[in-house]
Amino acid sequence: MEQLILATSECDLTQQTVCAPADVKELFEYRIPIIEIAGFPITRTFVLIILAGLIAVALMYFGLRRKRAVPGRFQTAIEGLVGFVKDEVAIGIIGPDGVKYFPYLLSLFMFILIANMFEITPFVNFPITSRMALPASLAALTWMIFIAAGFKRQGFRYVADIIWPPGVPTALKPLVGVIEFVSTFLVRPFSLAVRLFANMVAGHVMLTLLLTTAFVSIVTIGEIGITKGLFGFAWWLLGLAIFLFEIVVILLQAYIFTLLSAVYIETSINPAH
Amino acid sequence: MPYLFALAATLLATAEPVPISEEATGGAGLLLPAPEELFAGLIAFAIVFFFAWKWVIPALNQTLDARSGAIKAELEAAEAAKHEAESLLEDYRSQLAGAREEAARIIDEARESADAVKADIVARAEAEAEAIRSRAREEIAAERERVAAELKGQVADLAIQIAGKLVAESLDVERQRALVDRYIEDLGGVQ
Amino acid sequence: MEALKGAIALIGYGLAAIGPGVGIGIIAGNAVQAMARQPEAAGMVRTTMFLGIAFTEALALIGFVLFFLA
Repeated sequence: MEQLILATSECDLTQQTVCAPADVKELFEYRIPIIEIAGFPITRTFVLIILAGLIAVALMYFGLRRKRAVPGRFQTAIEGLVGFVKDEVAIGIIGPDGVKYFPYLLSLFMFILIANMFEITPFVNFPITSRMALPASLAALTWMIFIAAGFKRQGFRYVADIIWPPGVPTALKPLVGVIEFVSTFLVRPFSLAVRLFANMVAGHVMLTLLLTTAFVSIVTIGEIGITKGLFGFAWWLLGLAIFLFEIVVILLQAYIFTLLSAVYIETSINPAH
Repeated sequence: MPYLFALAATLLATAEPVPISEEATGGAGLLLPAPEELFAGLIAFAIVFFFAWKWVIPALNQTLDARSGAIKAELEAAEAAKHEAESLLEDYRSQLAGAREEAARIIDEARESADAVKADIVARAEAEAEAIRSRAREEIAAERERVAAELKGQVADLAIQIAGKLVAESLDVERQRALVDRYIEDLGGVQ
Repeated sequence: MEALKGAIALIGYGLAAIGPGVGIGIIAGNAVQAMARQPEAAGMVRTTMFLGIAFTEALALIGFVLFFLA
């Protein structure tokens, strides 16, 4: 609570419209170690990331533990999510071969979903996917998997067809080849990581600024007067709207990350597409 | 209410002390992955992945198998019930058809026997009527004969009486005439 | 100049968001049309729409990242 008071004391709504920190990056860089083990820092984000993995495992475990033919409510929900990834993403996008990639896509979806959920989880309220480490490592995994799948299925032709694309006029081949190479091997992982990262950063910034401003304006209503207090109420309403919107974004970004991973794998194993 | 909660929680989270990052505030500090987080992320993802691979897939398959088994059993039971119902229905149908035939047969028989009875009654009635008529005719004939015979006797008696009287009183025409008239009057009196 | 850097980065991000904004609008609008014409294909159209939006959105997000880099 001292930190809370600290934060509110830094914000003077008689001077500012919105309680923004001097640098928005301050909202994200929590790199204070809780403890240090042999010089290796265990930070809050570190703990949250491990926790997200454990929660994802626990959800799947408790959802699918009882293999009942007639499922309960929770089992139906988890089975719905798992079945959605299997039918719509793995098999729906990749085709019959998708079953092989289903465990990867499922763990991707569940892990990102829980990691994003921390954005709106009370007392956590920090999307760990807004730290670049998580999106970057997952995008790198997808990158490696789709390249490996391409080589496994097509051999060296996989790269050759990208650099020297068939079915393109010879004069254009170098140009198209370079563009394709860059877009496949560089832009894909980068945009995959940045999409998730940027969405969560934006959501976290909006929620934090709006809800903090609203809270501070309610707490300090005696100093700032009733007119500004009403402004604070408006910020609060807007914050609620964005809170609901963020729920959609959380689901959608987890889905899109999984979907795009599936699409990338599909394009490397089915080239004539 | 949950929003208030979320609001307070947001504050708690965002009010964490801000550390001084190595790159300070300028530049790509936010965009570079922190090594300890990369490590944590890969560990956590590996846990999830191995769990999904080694546990979720078999569990899911088992669940699906159990479900399809249950559905299959149910379908089979339904199929059996359907067959039974069909055979029962067939039975009922044939029974019904038999009953209908039986009824038709009974009605036909009844109609036939009724027709026979009717014809019999009519014939008997006709015969009786014929008998009554012929008897009446015979009676009439007999009566007529009897009357004729009686009349003959009477006429003969009268003729004899008239002849007797004529013989007794045959004097003159005047008297004869008077006699005849008297006789005729007598006849009239007889009648 | 150093003081203006943040402002210029903001303007740059705003410019970067115009194209994707228009693009996402077109994608979503056409997807709605397609779904209205063929409701039975709605599932496929929705998936493709999300894919298209994801690719288009990437441009705006790169602008967002450049804003942080600036």
